[in-house]
Amino acid sequence: MIGDRVLRKEDARFLTGRGRYLADHDVPGLCHIALVRSPIAHARVRSVDVTEALLSPGVVGVFTQADLEAGGARPMTHRLSMPGIQPLSWGVLATDTVRFVGEPIVAVVATSRAEAEDACELVEVDYEPLPAMVDPRAALEPGAPLLYPEWGTNVFFTAASPAGQADAAIATAPHVLTERVSHHRIQALPLEGHGAQASVDPQTGGLVVIASNQQPHQLRTVIAETVGLPESSVRVIAPDMGGGFGAKQHFTREECLVALLARITGRPVRWAQDRAEGLTASIHARAQEHEVTCGYDDTGKVLGYKVQIVADLGNPVLYFSGIGPSLVTIGCLAGGYDFGPVSFDLRCVATTTCPVGAYRGFGQPEAHVTSERVLDTIAERLGLDPVEVRHRNFLPDAPRPWMAPSGARMDIGSLGPHFDQLLDEVDYDGWRKRQADARAEGRFVGIGLSTLVQGTAPTQYGVAGRFGSWESASVSVLPDGSVTVFVGTKSQGQAHETVFAQVAADALGVPVDRVTVKDGDTAALPYGMGTWGSRSAVMGGGAVVTASTRLREKMDLIATHMGGNPTFDQIAEEVWWHAHRLPHHLEPGLTSTVVYTPGNTIPVPDAAGKTNFEETYGAHMTCVVVEVDVDTGDVELLDAVLVSDCGRVINPMVVEGQHQGAFVQGLGNVLHEEIRYDDEGQPLTATLIDYTPPLATDVRDLRVLHREKPSENAGGFRGMGEAAIIAAPAAIAGAVADALRPLGVEVWSTRLHPHHLRALLRAAR
Amino acid sequence: MTALIETALSVNGERRILDVEPRTTLLDALRGIGLTGTHAGCEHGACGACTVLLDGETVRSCLVLAGQCGGREVTTIEGLGTPDALHPVMESFRRCHGLQCGFCTPGMVLTAVELLDENPSPTEAEVREALSGNICRCTGYAGIVAAVLDASSSVVSE
Amino acid sequence: MKPPPFELLLATSVAEVVGALAADDGAKVLAGGQSLVPLLALRLARPTVLVDVNGLDLAGIEVVDGEVRIGALVRHRRLERDATVRASAPLLAQAAALVGHPAIRHRGTLGGSIAHADPVAELPAALLALGGSVVVEGPDGRRTIRANQLFEGFLTTSISPDELLVEVRVPAAGPSTRTAFCEWAPRVGDFAVAGVALVLDDSSVRAAVCGVATRPVDISDAFAPLMGAPLSDAVVAEVAARVRAACAGDDDRAELAALLAVRALREVA
Ligand SMILES: Cc1cc2nc3c(=O)[nH]c(=O)nc-3n(C[C@@H](O)[C@H](O)[C@H](O)COP(=O)(O)OP(=O)(O)OC[C@H]3O[C@@H](n4cnc5c(N)ncnc54)[C@H](O)[C@@H]3O)c2cc1C
Ligand code: FES
Ligand code: FES
Repeated sequence: MIGDRVLRKEDARFLTGRGRYLADHDVPGLCHIALVRSPIAHARVRSVDVTEALLSPGVVGVFTQADLEAGGARPMTHRLSMPGIQPLSWGVLATDTVRFVGEPIVAVVATSRAEAEDACELVEVDYEPLPAMVDPRAALEPGAPLLYPEWGTNVFFTAASPAGQADAAIATAPHVLTERVSHHRIQALPLEGHGAQASVDPQTGGLVVIASNQQPHQLRTVIAETVGLPESSVRVIAPDMGGGFGAKQHFTREECLVALLARITGRPVRWAQDRAEGLTASIHARAQEHEVTCGYDDTGKVLGYKVQIVADLGNPVLYFSGIGPSLVTIGCLAGGYDFGPVSFDLRCVATTTCPVGAYRGFGQPEAHVTSERVLDTIAERLGLDPVEVRHRNFLPDAPRPWMAPSGARMDIGSLGPHFDQLLDEVDYDGWRKRQADARAEGRFVGIGLSTLVQGTAPTQYGVAGRFGSWESASVSVLPDGSVTVFVGTKSQGQAHETVFAQVAADALGVPVDRVTVKDGDTAALPYGMGTWGSRSAVMGGGAVVTASTRLREKMDLIATHMGGNPTFDQIAEEVWWHAHRLPHHLEPGLTSTVVYTPGNTIPVPDAAGKTNFEETYGAHMTCVVVEVDVDTGDVELLDAVLVSDCGRVINPMVVEGQHQGAFVQGLGNVLHEEIRYDDEGQPLTATLIDYTPPLATDVRDLRVLHREKPSENAGGFRGMGEAAIIAAPAAIAGAVADALRPLGVEVWSTRLHPHHLRALLRAAR
Repeated sequence: MTALIETALSVNGERRILDVEPRTTLLDALRGIGLTGTHAGCEHGACGACTVLLDGETVRSCLVLAGQCGGREVTTIEGLGTPDALHPVMESFRRCHGLQCGFCTPGMVLTAVELLDENPSPTEAEVREALSGNICRCTGYAGIVAAVLDASSSVVSE
Repeated sequence: MKPPPFELLLATSVAEVVGALAADDGAKVLAGGQSLVPLLALRLARPTVLVDVNGLDLAGIEVVDGEVRIGALVRHRRLERDATVRASAPLLAQAAALVGHPAIRHRGTLGGSIAHADPVAELPAALLALGGSVVVEGPDGRRTIRANQLFEGFLTTSISPDELLVEVRVPAAGPSTRTAFCEWAPRVGDFAVAGVALVLDDSSVRAAVCGVATRPVDISDAFAPLMGAPLSDAVVAEVAARVRAACAGDDDRAELAALLAVRALREVA
């Protein structure tokens, strides 16, 4: 049960093509939406003429923002209320100004997507070009063209911690390192694009929306607000999802558009994002630049740590805004290390590019790459082994939980022994010898390390001004003894139908195949928080444990009352069919709905000024060994090992699968993928010929070992969905740097794609 | 809209008549008759999610026009197995956790079936090469490669 | 991402194809569709009529008078595996194996790849290195175009819009012929950033490179130091330097071309 490699319940339908993803929900009369999107990075829209488009075959209607407003559309906003944030609201469609290539201006509804696209080509938009602003640093220069002149700057948001203590520690440190670390722009790229379909609900006069969204309940809130309906009149169903990884975490213009157009046209309508839209006009990620300053002593101990961050937001017309990841970055700069006083300075800058937002890892890979590059470089500059420098900087083993000065409550195990287990497993010393042998033969082998402590199940309250850290689940034992579980999380491939069945089955004491799990339907639970932030096992699992345990306790009580050791099924039957025989005070039925929170977070500063954004923490130690072909820049993995503590492991097969997948996404980040623009803000990566995620031939298996230290939360889970995507870029960058050190190449960027490495190597020659 | 063309072909062993626009891809035509196991991941030939067998060979159905398929035989994932009767390669995918979201899976399975037909006991490198035209964003390929190797040995031992 | 509207003509004879092409400026040949259909999906091509040539009998492979004649519709997968091609035009088999992935090679055709003339494609460079030619048929009948007269620039050839490429011809490999195609692409199946096709026999060396210009480039001259000299490190270095010079323009591609030229040399040596 819990802890077993239970094969997945969802597999049979996915394997046989019976999954039902967004675009598999054809209904009679379904219409399709295509969008006229800006071909220019920054322009004033002088006029829009839809006359010809309206006459195009199959067209049901052509809509501008004015039409949507006439149909009840309300403005969208980022909903952030932090001090210093710029006010910003936007229409579902752009009106007078467009600020990135791909920004939607006109929507066409037609009887087929092809016809909708035909009509889009007939819409005449008269643009007056304005200067593009692609580079966030340039956008900060005085006199830079402004995206929003009313701000008087391109800075959307700034935050800084008091720098005094860190500055002082750095000033008096024996050694100081200052470097700039660049984290380039990528995207989540779920294989199924984003999209939504809506129709009017004849019962309520409201809407039924099918959306490929990781957070259906919050999407309901946003659609209700934008359309002007009570939440009770909007039902959002998130069907089978072909991945999400954060790209389907936001509540987008297009989802609201679909809802509005269903009401305005009275027809069922669908927008299914195509790949070009996905690559250019959805959500990008990372895109930060760090200037890190670090003081350290002769032993490699960091004494003070300071990071100045410029985060590129693109055009920040996104709810919740793209500053979310940067806020997470500043919260985890020191990870699982004791770096002495830490300070930050964050500037989030608007540019005329696609909005930047969520991707698995959400601000953590940036912090982690920077800290790991710094530790490796300290080791190099002091002539120490990077292993030794990490040991020197780990958080002390006691007390637990470790209460960080910020307020973070880090309930992790001892890091040193965990790290040592990794080094043994990967044969670190052996690889150092093999590395030396390879160098003697003119081959370039490198070893990279990542020692990650990852906060999980975070509260979103601080970012979104709503949505704290809790989750709901409803568990019922039906009269025949079969069990249903509804959860507020939303699987995008993470096997929730299986793992939550294991959790419920374990708590109830029934076989897993008696349990059916459903998620992704706002009609099933009043509210849920969805799946993101490595939270589902911790929060959804916690909710399922809690609800199931309550039912089991009730069943035990009834069993005692019945006497004679009744079976599970007999108890179930008794409670529903023979309720009159139950003890007087006992409610009939076997159903339990809970809203669960571990209650560890402090989303807004308490009296002592402390905050804690994470319900728990996981620890993950990774080592990769690579060989770099210095002629072609190809990086080959020779070994990769992860020793992972995600608390109680529900299903090792699923955990390993999550790590494998996340690891390869992290590898793609540094070795293959990059979203690129030219100086005019034209996207250069609009197809999968140009944006190139790793293939089966680009990777090897990550070896995963479990080191299980249960958390104190219900069920003991810690969460891990993002761990390896945070670890991989740091470990691989470390390995590449280690391999190329003899050639005088330093690695201060996540751009380690072969052509970038060739350029670095040419420059070093 | 240009005139519809009538195309008679065999899909999963059944004779079907498709009335399609000339521009309709085989991908959209198959999905239009309810065979939604063939997925659109990119619609420009770069991901492999739409892979089907055309006269027994893997092709990307987004790069074939439905109107070109008159008299041909198409096999989609639905023709390969059902939830109650999984194809042996599907069984291996399940056993080896060769799928997460399932979106790439039909294309992966069909590609794997073709590989194993041609080369019943491939090496890991051969498996990776054969699958290299199909993007999986979830699994990191580990489970998929393991599944194909598993299927190959089970085919041999049968 | 749906193609714009067009008519589809399922042609059954060369004459029908040529007639259809001549009748309508907007008509275009559809062969394997592996380049054209993506362009349609992205709406970068807007034909009025697509003339599907897959029903034509243009898939022969034969050796005639020291020449290998390959029908335009021979698919990459067959080129890669066919015994006659492997024996008599091994470079074409080597190049074909590098095109995309099996599912793409099942559809893509030799004629289509050559007519498409993508500067990063393998088969045009192979044809150029082999000193081959193509036979095209148009309203005025058949003509032969030598490879060095064929590729004019980015996706442009000297085949006129109303002509159909019907056959590809290359000199058959002799007993001493050795060939290699070496390329570097970011991932398996990607278009090459640079690729070098090499044909070497006792009396001559020919080579071409893809990826470094708007069309494949003949770099046979760069290999001249090879003739009559043993394959010493100095000769290899000289060839590399000449290839680099011949590919000047983009440092990265020129470096890669030089590297690949050396790899190709070592493969045939
Ligand atoms: C993901 C992917 C990866 C690829 N990777 C590579 C690669 O690495 N290397 C590579 O070289 N190619 C690659 N290709 C493209 C290659 O596979 C195509 O097969 C080839 O370029 C075109 O051949 P086709 O038969 O498919 O031509 P089509 O797409 O049918 O036609 C291409 C063009 O040629 C014209 N044409 C076709 N046949 C004739 C003819 N007989 N006479 C006159 N004109 C004709 C058409 O009108 C059209 O303009 C890739 C394609 C994809 C989708
Ligand atoms: S959808 Fe056909 S290859 Fe991607
Ligand atoms: S399982 Fe999701 S893309 Fe492969």
